[in-house]
Amino acid sequence: MFRFLRDDTSTTTTRLAESPLFAGLSTGELKTVEGMMHLRRYLAGEVVFDQGEEGQALYVVVSGTVAICHPGALEQPIAELGPGSHFGELALLDDAPRSAQARAGADCELAVFFRGDFERLLESHARIASRIALQLARILGQRLRTRVSQ
Amino acid sequence: MKIRSGGEYQSGPLAWLLIIAASCLVLFLFQKILWLVMPFLLALIVYYCCLPLKLRLVLSGFSHDGAATLVSTGVGVLAVLAMLLAFPWVTTETANWQHAATRYLDGGVGFLIATLEQLERRFSILANAGVSEEVARQIAAFNAHFVRDYLPGAAMTLAAWAPSLLLAPFIAFFMLRDGWRFKKFVSRAVPNAFFERTLFLLDQVDRTARLYFVGLIQLTVLDAVCLAAGLWLLGVSAPLLLGLLTAVLAWVPYVGSIAGCLLVVLVAATDFPGQPQVAYGAIALFLGVRLLDDFVFMPLTVGKSLNIHPLLTVLMIFIGGAVAGVPGLMLVLPVLGVAMVFGETIGMVITDPRLRARHAYAKRLMEKMVAADLPAKEQM
Repeated sequence: MFRFLRDDTSTTTTRLAESPLFAGLSTGELKTVEGMMHLRRYLAGEVVFDQGEEGQALYVVVSGTVAICHPGALEQPIAELGPGSHFGELALLDDAPRSAQARAGADCELAVFFRGDFERLLESHARIASRIALQLARILGQRLRTRVSQ
Repeated sequence: MKIRSGGEYQSGPLAWLLIIAASCLVLFLFQKILWLVMPFLLALIVYYCCLPLKLRLVLSGFSHDGAATLVSTGVGVLAVLAMLLAFPWVTTETANWQHAATRYLDGGVGFLIATLEQLERRFSILANAGVSEEVARQIAAFNAHFVRDYLPGAAMTLAAWAPSLLLAPFIAFFMLRDGWRFKKFVSRAVPNAFFERTLFLLDQVDRTARLYFVGLIQLTVLDAVCLAAGLWLLGVSAPLLLGLLTAVLAWVPYVGSIAGCLLVVLVAATDFPGQPQVAYGAIALFLGVRLLDDFVFMPLTVGKSLNIHPLLTVLMIFIGGAVAGVPGLMLVLPVLGVAMVFGETIGMVITDPRLRARHAYAKRLMEKMVAADLPAKEQM
């Protein structure tokens, strides 16, 4: 009984440290962020979120793979993401509709970070939140430059 | 192809009726276990006060358990130290308090009798009935038998409540230590398909609770400032302390307000024994602030923080009082706020066909996986 009060989260911390979004955070800071995240398990083919759905959370792949695709086109994914990768990061900024569908490519475990928790982090730990926000801005800038150069 | 979930959900009249009914039911049940609800509420206030400190410690490298233990121990030690330091002062001041209480009570009684005598001079029917004499006689009788008739009962009630109130620091400690784990534990019960939307809405419950307490503090400050300003203009002694005490008493609607009004009148009547108009002014001021509080401040602070329509806020205060008495008055708004978020969450999830379809698909995947090595029915 009360086993839920004990939580082994070391793998999650390792995966968070691998994600570029959380680069530069100390172990203590990663632990703070991890404390706000939720771990979810998805079966291969299961929908994580739909295209057009209101975005509320960012996902980090802890194990397995996730395919980013257009609905009904799982065979031709836009991107395939492995452990340490993240997706749905724009949901940290606003609740705009998701631009694509995310489905589990294989059985996977995902760490979910809600926008509400990120906003709370901004209030309680502005330093951590600003580092994440800076990394997010860098990633988006990089993506924009790549898109423009194409 | 773009898959659309159901349009933006808005609770209909049926959902609202269910939310109000659920709130009333919860209030009725709360009234039955009030001994547990009160320490829980106190613990919640302590929890929200200590949480930022615990989070700071976690950031500086402490584990969640260690940080919670350290904060709770620190707060506990501070509370014990404060009590130990206050004890000698309290014991020496008790005699003065008793003297002051007797002086203010005598002042209040004198004001009441003087008012009644004034009324008797104007209305012969009251003079014939001997109202002032009868009231003076009953007050004297009450004073004579107070210790014998009421003090043991009050002491027994206090003794019965004290152990349950001791639960508050205990509950607050476990909220601090395991609250985040409990939130994750509850979230695990939500299927993947509904997870993101449900968690977003449940997060609103937490936000609502925090905003409610912030609203309550804002309300107390507004009340205290208005009353203190009015009492200062009237020339009553210690206006700020009186305003603050009265505002805190107002946390218990109606009963607290009556106690607050009595307090203000007692002080005003004692400070100005020959000038009843000051006490009347204090009563008028108090009524004015109460009206402002119930119809303007409360809907604007607590009601606004819960995002409830001002009319519904006022109506629910009356309904809460009717269903569960004084505890109902105190608890109706936070209970309604939480019921509202739960109602909207359930409504949003069960009315979205895409989410239901995704959940059904996930269940089929799970069944397929667990039965992968089992022969199909037709092959048996």
